[in-house]
Amino acid sequence: MQAGKTMLKLGCAAAIGLSVLLSAVPATAADSLQARVAAYRERVARLEDQDAIETLQATYGYYFDKGLWDQAASLFTRNGEFEYGQRGVYVTPAHIQRAMLLFGPQGLDRGYLNNHMLLQNVIIVAPDGKTATGRWQGMVMLSKPGANGVWGVGVYENTYAKEDGVWKISKLHFYVTGMTDYDQGWAKSFLPMDGQSALFPPDKPPTEVYRSLPAAYLPPFSFKHPVTGKPLTGLPLAGDDVVGRK
Amino acid sequence: MMTRKPLFAALLAASTLAAAAPVAAQDAGTAAARLDELDARITRLEDMNQIERVQRTYGYFVDKSQWTQLSELFADDATLEIGGKGIFVGKARVLEYMQKAFGPDGTKAGSLANHMQFQTIPDVSPDGKTGWMRARAFVMSNGGWGLPLYENEYKKGADGKWRISRLTGPFTMYTSWEGWGKWAMNNTWPDKFPPPPDLPPSTVYLTYPAYYIIPYHYPNPVTGKAMVPDTGQVGAYAAPPGTKAQIDSLKVGRLVDGTQPIAEPPKD
Repeated sequence: MQAGKTMLKLGCAAAIGLSVLLSAVPATAADSLQARVAAYRERVARLEDQDAIETLQATYGYYFDKGLWDQAASLFTRNGEFEYGQRGVYVTPAHIQRAMLLFGPQGLDRGYLNNHMLLQNVIIVAPDGKTATGRWQGMVMLSKPGANGVWGVGVYENTYAKEDGVWKISKLHFYVTGMTDYDQGWAKSFLPMDGQSALFPPDKPPTEVYRSLPAAYLPPFSFKHPVTGKPLTGLPLAGDDVVGRK
Repeated sequence: MMTRKPLFAALLAASTLAAAAPVAAQDAGTAAARLDELDARITRLEDMNQIERVQRTYGYFVDKSQWTQLSELFADDATLEIGGKGIFVGKARVLEYMQKAFGPDGTKAGSLANHMQFQTIPDVSPDGKTGWMRARAFVMSNGGWGLPLYENEYKKGADGKWRISRLTGPFTMYTSWEGWGKWAMNNTWPDKFPPPPDLPPSTVYLTYPAYYIIPYHYPNPVTGKAMVPDTGQVGAYAAPPGTKAQIDSLKVGRLVDGTQPIAEPPKD
């Protein structure tokens, strides 16, 4: 985010400049000024946190697109989780890296397209600056050797944590909501999601059982309504007789 | 962004001042003033973030037909204008527009209507109460592809919440899955689907293969000069700019400000 970038160097510089200044003023006035500086440092830190998380998640996307599974997996916390559609949950960077091989070989190969574009982020950093949530829109373009091109859409609802002073992905959950054949499109074709792998089963089953289009699933929101402040839960959603959702 | 240089200048000045620092009380006042300035700058960045969140949340609600939640993003006296449908006034009409045009709240089996939001350019007024944003959506739906732009206005309420006060969403191109090389819709119009608008469109224009440039709320970021649209450029182009066909089209059925009047009045 442009806003976050601007603040990166501001925090320290502002604090140093003002500390020097404040050493020359009377105690009570200085106390109140110091308190203001402290509060502003926190606000700047949250903007920096948001910026770092945006960089982290966008970088994940660039790595994942190109089959750089080792790099992508290195972005997760020690107990980090990776969940894609209905494939189940893989835990720890080592398992995540291996699970990503199910999408293609390391570095992909001729004939593979694995674009997962990430946009429309709503990142909320916790007041203590230790954790954060992020919702992202996912736009997907896929191809594999011998198969037709595929369009996909979905929503990421991820969590982040500061581990050893660095922001990492603590949970990546990509809710695939629809996939279609490139030539046919959304009016004629809905492709099913992949299920849990028999080759390398997940550590845990899917946290959320749902179907992609033509079922109409709405991934839950991590953040509250920006105006009403109410949780975005219980929103109207089409039922699914197989899943058992009314 | 644009705040970087002045900000460092301010901080440098603060350091220089501190080194000289002859009168303590005066310094406290100076420090407070500098902190006020810093507060305003941080607030501006936070405000721009929040405006982006509001707009992106709008997109998530559109995707899944969450119209009631969507309408809560709007100020009570907000206006909404999408494509060529005309202007809807007030939060209640925003809700009515969405529910009548696109059906009741909630996801529908087999329905895809993604309005993916990106390329945001937020700005906030010096007093911190009004915001603007140029942004775009990429529409991927059952019907095909769409390219709306946004030039929206936002207001910070007495409660400190940012809301959409004016949504202006002119279309660039809408087509079926067959693609824009074969077919494109020329725009939507007030009488094309219910409900009718409260006011006619602010500008009448055609979409691709003609095109329309909605004025920019912010200046050219390099020259700093305002993008003052030529009255001839505000309206629709029936042909590429500079061509005879385009120049001729500007003289047909237009008001003195270059826009075209709407033929269809609002219905009861």
